[in-house]
Amino acid sequence: MTATAEVTTGPESRPDRVGHERVGRLRPRLPFGGRTADLAVLALVAAVTLVALLAPVLAPYDPVQPVGRLHVPVGDPQHPLGTDGIGRDLLSRTLLGLRTSWLTALVVVAIGLVVGGLVGLAAGAAGGFVDALLMRTTDLFLALPSTLVAVAVAAALGPGLLNTVIAISIVWWPFYARIVRGEVRSLVSRPHVEAARMAGVGPVRLVRRHLLPGVVPSAVITASLDVGNVVLVMASLSFLGLGQPAPAPELGADTARSLPELLAHWWIPAIPGIAVLVLSLVANLGGDAVRNLLSGRR
Amino acid sequence: MIRVRFLAGRLAALVALVGVLTIVLFALQEISGADPVAATLGPNASPEAVAAERARLGLDAPAFERYLHYVGGLLIGDMGTSFRTRRPVSNDIATYLPATVELVSLAFVVALVLAVAFAVLSVLRVRGAGVVRAALFLGSTAPTFLLGIFGLVVFYQQLGWLPGSGRTSASEPAGPTGLLVLDGLLTGDVGLSVDALEHLLLPAVVLAVSPALAIGRVLRSSLLTTLETDHVRTARAKGLTERAIVTRHVLRNSVNAALSMTGLQLGFMFAGVLVVENVFSWPGLGSYLSASIPVADFPAVAGVTFVLGVVYIVANTAVDVLQTAADPRIAL
Repeated sequence: MTATAEVTTGPESRPDRVGHERVGRLRPRLPFGGRTADLAVLALVAAVTLVALLAPVLAPYDPVQPVGRLHVPVGDPQHPLGTDGIGRDLLSRTLLGLRTSWLTALVVVAIGLVVGGLVGLAAGAAGGFVDALLMRTTDLFLALPSTLVAVAVAAALGPGLLNTVIAISIVWWPFYARIVRGEVRSLVSRPHVEAARMAGVGPVRLVRRHLLPGVVPSAVITASLDVGNVVLVMASLSFLGLGQPAPAPELGADTARSLPELLAHWWIPAIPGIAVLVLSLVANLGGDAVRNLLSGRR
Repeated sequence: MIRVRFLAGRLAALVALVGVLTIVLFALQEISGADPVAATLGPNASPEAVAAERARLGLDAPAFERYLHYVGGLLIGDMGTSFRTRRPVSNDIATYLPATVELVSLAFVVALVLAVAFAVLSVLRVRGAGVVRAALFLGSTAPTFLLGIFGLVVFYQQLGWLPGSGRTSASEPAGPTGLLVLDGLLTGDVGLSVDALEHLLLPAVVLAVSPALAIGRVLRSSLLTTLETDHVRTARAKGLTERAIVTRHVLRNSVNAALSMTGLQLGFMFAGVLVVENVFSWPGLGSYLSASIPVADFPAVAGVTFVLGVVYIVANTAVDVLQTAADPRIAL
């Protein structure tokens, strides 16, 4: 295998997600640099998470009930983000939609990390037949168009937030399995692991004390760079009608439902979309910051 | 010899993957609990009629037999009957596929052009590359439907440069291929081709932004790697201009990594097109799919997934083969 062939198995090869691994080089330079910038970005991520958690308290109105005049534009003192076609407050709806998007994205990434991580750890540590079996299975998943399969899974399970999370998680873990397995394989041949094995350390302790700590940083970096991807895929599925049923506030679905009003009242479909943009932007910058801080790369 | 074995291996992998796809879809069909009999006969059918219909469709057979039946059907183009349209899913797909093919094809070309332009410009450090970089970064972070909305408001509503919905301003003309740009050219109706292209442009560009950035990034980083190799240093020492070095000595040697990214981005485009079609009222598979989802029309969803999935698998096999053409060492 040449170096170029290696690319097909690297992080860039995630089937239909943008390779955010390289975002660092593309990111416009911030006016202040280095560690301070990274920590500021992480504070921003924490703030978004806090807003997501507190959304029900922060929302000024009931998100599913009409509370004002129809089609109030952005900038109104009572409704800062306006109201929609039946007079619901868009700020309240967006806050609760943001909560759903952000928290479910974190859950999906966590599931992917744990399931994929375990599979990768098992494959990498066991080697031989187990490795081959697990990794061929993983490759099968990776060779199918993941978002399309997620659409089919979500459609088969029926609408609902839990089902969407399941659908995306099913296609999401193989990516982590690949990364973790690669890391473990390179660790297994390192002297400290060999020494531990010579000292008679059992397989469970070997994995827990000597392999896992080496894998965690790169797995965490991968996961944090991935949150933005999940936010975007979730929004697409929601847009296609594969999220919660009608009155529930959800970012993709709210845009899809108000699309016919676009030319008359642009803000109604645009605001949920802009919220998705903000989430994915924050997630990507946060992923970069985590990578910079953990890998010491500048 | 090696080459034949390589191709045979790729082909076997392709068949195996399509097989896996059918297993996945069959399993989902089972899980979904979608009942074709209830859908065709309605809730008031007599138990006898239901039993007869179940027997006719072979629904009482064991799962493995039903799976074989399903695959056998797929081989002759039978994907079941849509619960919503009451027509065979394969007929529906045949109706909507050309619109999607036309859109994805143009978007693909646009993505490649943008990717190469982005990579080459930023490697050559052309003035303004930083602005393009920031714009693309923002564009790739945005959800596809927001880009579509932005395009509609700016280029259709405000500027009035481009049409905002549908494939053509004329009533849907029936051409030999169903690809309107091509049909216009074949039948000598240039007006139709131009009109269809105008309608295509906005959705195609929206669909192309994110894949373009992904491909462009990979191309850019492999360009930068190639620029540090010995033969490029030799070219520089000969006094060639930077532009000549990039276009003549670097681009082909860097194309490989970008090629595999391109194949993978196709999957992204197939998912993206489902969303884009809904924004632009594009009468393709995406609109068909999103009409099928709310009424739990699983045969339709499975049909669309199968067709796009197979195209994706075939395209990636083609990319693998192309890669050996660009770099023959891979097949060894």
